[in-house]
Amino acid sequence: MNVNPYIKPRFNTTTAVMADVILALLPLVAVAYIAYGLQALLVIGTAVGTALVTDFVFSAVYVKKTTAVLDGSAVITGLLLAFTLSPATPWYVVAFGAFAAILFGKLLWGGLGKNRFNPALMGREFMAAFFPVMSSAAIWVTKSFINVKEIGFLGTNSYLATYTSGLLYKTTGALGEYSVAAIALGGLYLLIRRRISWHIPFALLAVFSTGFWLVNDGDDLKYSAAGVLLGALFMATDMPSSPNSPNGKLYYGGMIGLSAFAFILAGVRFEYMSFSILLLNGFTPKINEVFMPRAWGHKHDFKALAEKVFLLTLSIAGGVLALLSLHYYGLTSYVVYLYIVYIIFKFNFSFSDKISNPI
Amino acid sequence: MMHITSLKSKTKHIPIATLADPPELYLPLYGYKGTMDLLVQPGETVKKYQPVAASEGVFAACVHAPVSGTIEGIEDINGQPHLKLINNFKDNEYELPSLNPDGLTNAQILSILKEYGIEGSGGARFPTHLKYDVEGRISTLIINGAECEPYLSADYALLKNELPALVKAIQLLQKVVRAQWVVIAIEKQHRELKKLLSPLLPVHAIETHLLPNEYPQGGELQLIKSVTGKELPKGSIPAQHGIMVSNVGTLWAVYNAFYGNKPYTDRVITLSGEKARHIGNYSVKVGTPVWFIMQELGMDWNPEQQTVILGGPMMGRAVHDARSPINKGTGGVLIMPQAKANDNNCIQCGYCADACPQRLMPMEFVRPEARADKERLLQLNLTDCIECGACAYICPSDVPLMKSIFTGKQTLQAS
Ligand code: SF4
Ligand code: SF4
Repeated sequence: MNVNPYIKPRFNTTTAVMADVILALLPLVAVAYIAYGLQALLVIGTAVGTALVTDFVFSAVYVKKTTAVLDGSAVITGLLLAFTLSPATPWYVVAFGAFAAILFGKLLWGGLGKNRFNPALMGREFMAAFFPVMSSAAIWVTKSFINVKEIGFLGTNSYLATYTSGLLYKTTGALGEYSVAAIALGGLYLLIRRRISWHIPFALLAVFSTGFWLVNDGDDLKYSAAGVLLGALFMATDMPSSPNSPNGKLYYGGMIGLSAFAFILAGVRFEYMSFSILLLNGFTPKINEVFMPRAWGHKHDFKALAEKVFLLTLSIAGGVLALLSLHYYGLTSYVVYLYIVYIIFKFNFSFSDKISNPI
Repeated sequence: MMHITSLKSKTKHIPIATLADPPELYLPLYGYKGTMDLLVQPGETVKKYQPVAASEGVFAACVHAPVSGTIEGIEDINGQPHLKLINNFKDNEYELPSLNPDGLTNAQILSILKEYGIEGSGGARFPTHLKYDVEGRISTLIINGAECEPYLSADYALLKNELPALVKAIQLLQKVVRAQWVVIAIEKQHRELKKLLSPLLPVHAIETHLLPNEYPQGGELQLIKSVTGKELPKGSIPAQHGIMVSNVGTLWAVYNAFYGNKPYTDRVITLSGEKARHIGNYSVKVGTPVWFIMQELGMDWNPEQQTVILGGPMMGRAVHDARSPINKGTGGVLIMPQAKANDNNCIQCGYCADACPQRLMPMEFVRPEARADKERLLQLNLTDCIECGACAYICPSDVPLMKSIFTGKQTLQAS
């Protein structure tokens, strides 16, 4: 190094950051194994394995780095992708998803940290676009695979006990959604290790639950609390695709909560979280711009700020409506096709020149 | 802001030792602004404390011979002119008019600050005579005892061992500034000093203020905010807000000038670092080359094996020239192992923005700097950066943030 500073904190490398996230996700792997046994491990293993192989091969080809696979980010993408899937998902569909997540979700943007969208969710949308089975209700029929149906820590004799065991363990939903407690534990670890900040999950969950509280018939709406929590703690907080400033994070989290709620109200059954996170991912650069922190000794121009926030909110609302209409007419896969054209075009004409830049 | 392991406990309790005089000295001829003109000729024999170079004007500065000897000539070290002086070890002293510190007028005090070459010792080397030329508009005088750089403990050692002298210097400067409130600010990690300092309160009306152990608490703007609650924008002159900040090292130089009749020719530094031997706090002559310091303390100058840093590890400068000297703003010499940088992409973790005391977005500088986009750099308030290095310290990917900050600032200046 030839410029200051000449010291670095210990154990603070990119790999250490990734290792912490993987550690936080491991309890979820264990819970998934308890619930669906080898079937769960097959899905998770296929996702992680394919992600690693894709990362290794295509990093070498496009990013000209053979060591990139060692940073651990592909493991996280694989795990997170698997956690959004049903244990009954066919292995080749999982493999396709993980491949698309790494290649189209990360590498074609120029590699680690440069992606605009959460790669795991991107992979999920690719699966839905190319394999109609992903959007069918049939894929969620998983009874025949169940390993351990319930764990009777607390018995079933009172409402409270049933409710609490439901938080600890259940067997419905996607692979990462079987234990609210395990998700919360992982999230807490990341918060303590400062790998995520509280702003995004807090704002997201606060707005989301306020929505339900305001709409009285909230009980009839179908959503998965564990899925929302998983999204809030692990997906929405994905570093490259989320804003950097505290206020930006609050706004971003709040808007994800709001859009997810809107999607649920409008009857989107499974993809409310991935839709809203991916949508807000797209607005991250704009949010960073609008919510730039007030530099030391500077003053905010509150009127201009309010105007910018208003316009930004308006365009996000437009995005929600557009996505909803596409979803209504079953056209969301066309967004994915367009994205493929866009990202290939961008990579060849712009990103590939900047591969060696760290940002 | 953020917490950094301070590593000061290695040296902070070691009393100040005096390092031997070197056989050759390199006196920096550059000041806060501009270069100084020679007052002597190469080949000339000079006496100890004789002024050898000076500049005129608002930012007037001067430098004195710390030892007696022969002027050899001007040499270029790290791109800056230095005057080489060969020590004859005779210690012939230059005759300076004697001083009666208690009977001086304000104008006399200011002119002595100028003639004795007193400069800010915290690194920026702002001329002290200029700083104190305020005509009583000051309400708060803050003594900056927050050496927030890890390893450095020279100011701590001075506070601990030379407190009466520093108080005398404060009282002298108080004649000029007449501040209602005088505060010595120290970091919480040094709270044991408070016991030492607290008897001052009734006698001299000097208060102590404990600062959080955060980096960069010693930055002028951050210090002013912590003590007074005022957030001054970068580039503002604290005196215009009734605030004056002086460094402990500067007080020591003031004391030596007025009570020891000694121009600014030596200072206290910390020698430390992971590869250093005989670490501690040393009083050294201004102009002492690093090779000599290392040799005296039983180390070899070996740039392949170690990094030698003048100043602190966060804001200091690695030197590759063995002749690089201690100047009036150098608070330490650190001998560190060669560091390896990671080669990773920015992961947008935002740690750099969280750590930035000026609340900037350091990761955003990189791209506009690469394409020399001045407008964008200004929009991102690059000019507000105080170059504290906090962002690069915390970055897990070792993104060359400081490089883009320095080059970006150069780009802006080149307009
Ligand atoms: S060097 Fe500049 S940008 Fe980096 S943390 Fe310090 S003030 Fe902020
Ligand atoms: S700390 Fe480094 S990796 Fe993190 S956002 Fe800043 S530049 Fe990027």
